[in-house]
Amino acid sequence: MKTTGIILASILASITWAQAQTNGGYTNFIRQKQLPSGVEWDMTGIAANGESQSALAINPGGAEFELWSVNTITAAQYKLDSRYVGAYVPIGGVVIRSEDPYDTVPRTRADRPFFVDVTVAGLLSGVADPEASKKVNFLRHVQSYGAAGTGMNLDRTQATLLSQNYIESNTPITGPSTLTFAINAIPGANRAKVRGEERFSVFSLPDNRTNSETGQAYSAPASQLGSQFIQIWPVADGALAGITTNQLIRFKVPALTITLNDLYPDSHTYAQVYKGAPQLGTTGKIVPGSSIVINDTVPQSRILAVSDYDDVFDADGLWTMEIVTKTPFGLDRLAYVSFTLDRILQMNGSVTTITD
Amino acid sequence: MRTITHLVLVRGAACLLLATPAMAQQQTAMRDVATHDQLSQKLRAANNTNPLADLKVAKGEDPTKTKPGDFASRSDFMSFGGNATIVPKRAILHTPANLEARIKLQPGSKIQNWAEFYTANRGWITTVEVTRAQAEGKVPLAEEIIKRIEKSTAVVVATYQSGPISVLPPKDPAPAATPAPVQVPAATATIKKP
Repeated sequence: MKTTGIILASILASITWAQAQTNGGYTNFIRQKQLPSGVEWDMTGIAANGESQSALAINPGGAEFELWSVNTITAAQYKLDSRYVGAYVPIGGVVIRSEDPYDTVPRTRADRPFFVDVTVAGLLSGVADPEASKKVNFLRHVQSYGAAGTGMNLDRTQATLLSQNYIESNTPITGPSTLTFAINAIPGANRAKVRGEERFSVFSLPDNRTNSETGQAYSAPASQLGSQFIQIWPVADGALAGITTNQLIRFKVPALTITLNDLYPDSHTYAQVYKGAPQLGTTGKIVPGSSIVINDTVPQSRILAVSDYDDVFDADGLWTMEIVTKTPFGLDRLAYVSFTLDRILQMNGSVTTITD
Repeated sequence: MRTITHLVLVRGAACLLLATPAMAQQQTAMRDVATHDQLSQKLRAANNTNPLADLKVAKGEDPTKTKPGDFASRSDFMSFGGNATIVPKRAILHTPANLEARIKLQPGSKIQNWAEFYTANRGWITTVEVTRAQAEGKVPLAEEIIKRIEKSTAVVVATYQSGPISVLPPKDPAPAATPAPVQVPAATATIKKP
């Protein structure tokens, strides 16, 4: 290797795509972008899991590998991961985890924490080493999808840079450094209803210098070494109409209208009843016709009309009805109402005998 | 037979035992849904314990602003028969006029990878295998190949090792260089007939 970035020999890059899926509504593409020429090439034969070597030799300026997952129906595109590979760049990687095991795109809810695993390797520390080899730039971007947005056709260049920090040491061999974010920072007036994404990236520093032996100028722009984003979906809300608090119900129970907004993409929501006053954490009987299961990629809203559910009540007295949603984060009560049921007819009478 | 009956009875009793607690009201981990006020307070607390606080603040422009992050703007779509695929921009070298309508994303098409789509559409798509130097515009395609591309009645897509690749326009030769384009052996760029 005569000059600073001439890499014409074997293919160096490999990329894994364990997070991607070729089934379940997404098709994957791995695109290699040569720098600085800008030639782009798509690898073929992308499986849901595995690894493969690139057939395209890397230029002196390096190459960027991007893993894109495209929704087969909507053509919405998600960059799941990317890596920059070159002659004199450190290695950086970002993996975002949440409590939701969904593995196509990391996602969580507006009230839940998430975890960012950062890996940095190959940083140098010598006095004569170039600045770009001594540290990397760690960026945090936030971007709202808007009031009812789903992230489709999102222009990610419009994301807001929340912070950028230098990472000046390699990750310990024991494992990545984990940053815990107790809650998201997506902009929004109602913190329970924010929807959008947070993106974390590791970038190399721009490196412009000249080889002292050959005099050849070497210029590498700041390049993305690794990046991943997490989708943040709003907290669901619900309302019960048809029964009011402390209502006395005689004979037949009234029809209900259950309004559910922003149900989490992986959720089971239902109305349940139990005897007695409201008691958080009580398991009751599910009201027939009130159960709805969401298995989607974006939140859903529904309005349910429920009637003829008398059979769930096996006695008169004080009852509580709750709307509960079950998600990967646990059980949340969205709304509740207590009422008194009195369906037993009582006849008061007396028998009197009159004798002469 | 007696043993089987006994087992059935035992299992039946076990089921009853298991079912009994579920019938009663149980206490499970449940919380009231989080409110805006609670989350605002949580965000304020999180800002005071920023996990990035130990890292030195970096200065400079946002490097992501200068990078094309959008996949679609750097790609061309091809659609036919309810399916579609994506190739890098400049990978499509030739489109006959009668096939131009297929070089876009038809709404409702199912996105396939290149290999899958090409296999099913060889009747109107053909490929030209190019070298890396040709893709970078350092070496032009052979004249013979260029003529065949221009006369092709099929859409011509440039590929490298069977994967679609963008082909940059040939770079202008240096002033001192010979004006004639560099001839490369035909074997370095091969056109595959449909």
